[in-house]
Amino acid sequence: MKSKRFEALAARPVNQDGYVQEWPEVGLIAMNSPFDPKPSIKIEGGKIVEMDGKTRADFDMLDTFIADHAIRLGNAEKAMAMDSLEIARKIVDINVSRDEILDITLSVTPAKLTEIVGKLTIVEIMMGMTKMRARLMPANQCHVTNVKDNPIQIAADAAEAAVRGFAEMETTVGIARYAPFNAMALFVGAQAGRPGIMTQCALEEATELQLGMRGFTTYAETISVYGTEPVFMDGDDTPYSKAFLASCYASRGLKMRFTSGTGSEVQMGYAEGKSMLYLEARCLAVTKGAGVQGTQNGSVSCVGVPAGVPGGIRAIAAENLIAMLLDLESTTSNDQTFTHSDLRRVARSVPQLFSGTDYICSGYSATPNYDNMFAGSNWDADDYDDWNIIQRDMRIDGGLQPVKEDDVIKARNKAARALQGMFRELGLPPITDEEVEAATYARGSQDMPDRNVNEDLKAIEAMMARKVTGVDFVKALDKAGFPDVAQNIYNMLRQKVAGDYLHTASIFDKDFHVYSGVNAPNDYHGPMTGYQLSEERWEQIKNIPNAIRPEDI
Amino acid sequence: MDQELLMKQIVEQVMSAMNKGAAPAAPAAGGKMTAANYPLAEKEADKIKTPTGKPFSSLSYEKVLSGELTSDDMRIAPETLEYQAQVAESVNREAFAGNLRRAAELIAVPDERLLEIYNALRPYRSTKQELIDIANELDGKYGAKTAAGLVREAAEVYEKRDRLKKF
Repeated sequence: MKSKRFEALAARPVNQDGYVQEWPEVGLIAMNSPFDPKPSIKIEGGKIVEMDGKTRADFDMLDTFIADHAIRLGNAEKAMAMDSLEIARKIVDINVSRDEILDITLSVTPAKLTEIVGKLTIVEIMMGMTKMRARLMPANQCHVTNVKDNPIQIAADAAEAAVRGFAEMETTVGIARYAPFNAMALFVGAQAGRPGIMTQCALEEATELQLGMRGFTTYAETISVYGTEPVFMDGDDTPYSKAFLASCYASRGLKMRFTSGTGSEVQMGYAEGKSMLYLEARCLAVTKGAGVQGTQNGSVSCVGVPAGVPGGIRAIAAENLIAMLLDLESTTSNDQTFTHSDLRRVARSVPQLFSGTDYICSGYSATPNYDNMFAGSNWDADDYDDWNIIQRDMRIDGGLQPVKEDDVIKARNKAARALQGMFRELGLPPITDEEVEAATYARGSQDMPDRNVNEDLKAIEAMMARKVTGVDFVKALDKAGFPDVAQNIYNMLRQKVAGDYLHTASIFDKDFHVYSGVNAPNDYHGPMTGYQLSEERWEQIKNIPNAIRPEDI
Repeated sequence: MDQELLMKQIVEQVMSAMNKGAAPAAPAAGGKMTAANYPLAEKEADKIKTPTGKPFSSLSYEKVLSGELTSDDMRIAPETLEYQAQVAESVNREAFAGNLRRAAELIAVPDERLLEIYNALRPYRSTKQELIDIANELDGKYGAKTAAGLVREAAEVYEKRDRLKKF
């Protein structure tokens, strides 16, 4: 006989997900592996000669880079001698300040960081996040893509996402040669929706930098680092090339962060028998050593790997916390789809959403999932109201707010028309009124007419050959009758001259005032401190259009 | 811990947090920029210039439209990155400050050459001598001393780890 109860359970979405037992020997273990190295440090003549059980002669490339660049030597021996449990307790102790914690955690090795966070429960990790994230107020980031690489839809979706509250937006491509159009459309759409939003286009490293140099984007995020040397080589980079690349971005006034995450090494077959979290701690040390202001981490596109092993989702939160313990901007994933279960996907986001991080998602899909070109997201446009209600239920700021349909339609229409005008002035293939209309009311690319892809790609090639830059966007938008959008683009370009937004965890408000870990540092030290929802912001979050008002009854 | 000591600690922490959150201390001695001068675009606009020598405060939308300002003007200057590095140091972000200083040196390197050097630093792309030549170029032609140092370091490590170009 078969149990009817078990039959029903077997059909549940959660049982369509894949799970695997721990296998520490190949690195299929989230954290606390018996094969993780024991923390150690030895300094001679101002140089680390032993780290985490290895002497310098046995260092691989990552060890060498980390030992030479990532650890503050002055306090290192003292910090390494402290009991990891004592440090873990300090992290959750409201009487120990963020700065005091950083004095310790910026002076320790990857194995030590792994050991410290290994002592924390998921709730304690969340308490740590609340205290240790760099910026006072949390924010959110979204993906704006579609399967057709339709630029009018990108502009409209970006404008809507802006109205909904995202501080940062990222696009990528189906067809690589479409990248310049996607980047332009995102830039224009975001600035039409709300001034001051940062935008980027995820591409191969050198191409991504080129678009930034041309003024098509204002930041970059997809600069991957890995936790073992063979995987780093497979990624066609080294810690040294990536550190150089980091400086290239800053030299052009562009904000950038590295990206890494648990599971990438075991997925690529070279975990060297270490836990996913230890290898991620190495990635974060490389990030710190390169002098980069922040990281996108939290397994990211490898989420299926940690999600399959016991304690894997806890490990993802733990890796976010390690980033914060290294004083890095924490852009905390919650992106790629990993489960069929709605319950699991909410639970996966609870640590970052409830604690608040510098960017809770990286990103939240601003389109339906079928249009997400980053292999889907844990949250998408169809979940906007769920996100808003969860904020309202828990009285938290997840970076979004309820919106009126009219406002969204207006913003989408304006962005589409602005792009139409800019294309016309730049001599690019026309955007028809029919396309503008479709983008204004579309849910996704299924509602968009097809474009002539060959004609678009030819025009892109010609545009890049005649060296069109962000300055040309400003002129074209002004000529096309959108001086306000043009001014916003100009203001973003102007920020590159000053460089204030290069700093840790920066965002702009609608008046181009920058908030970062420098002028808006997180000062949480217990109840009623740190970021508190203002009355104004709470009004915005709680006033959903579909709530019954007592006076109407 | 006795109650009084605990209260004292809390008060101290509140005070230090308030100092950090609001206007921090005045600029440090020696005229270095600190968090108090940040954001520079608002507080130190008269000290920032474009790499083409135009004052930040003279930039305007109208000048972009008239063509008086071009994309060459809308770039960051080495001095500005040095100021930002000083701000970073004032909030104990010395690794980040180091990156900004390395970046300041690279402003003079043309876009195309910068991309070539980045590609040359990828694994198996260069011989040791080619990397040393790049370091000498950065050092000699552009005065990019710390960037050159990073490339020399890479040359040593790539040799040891067998990541140089194979013949």
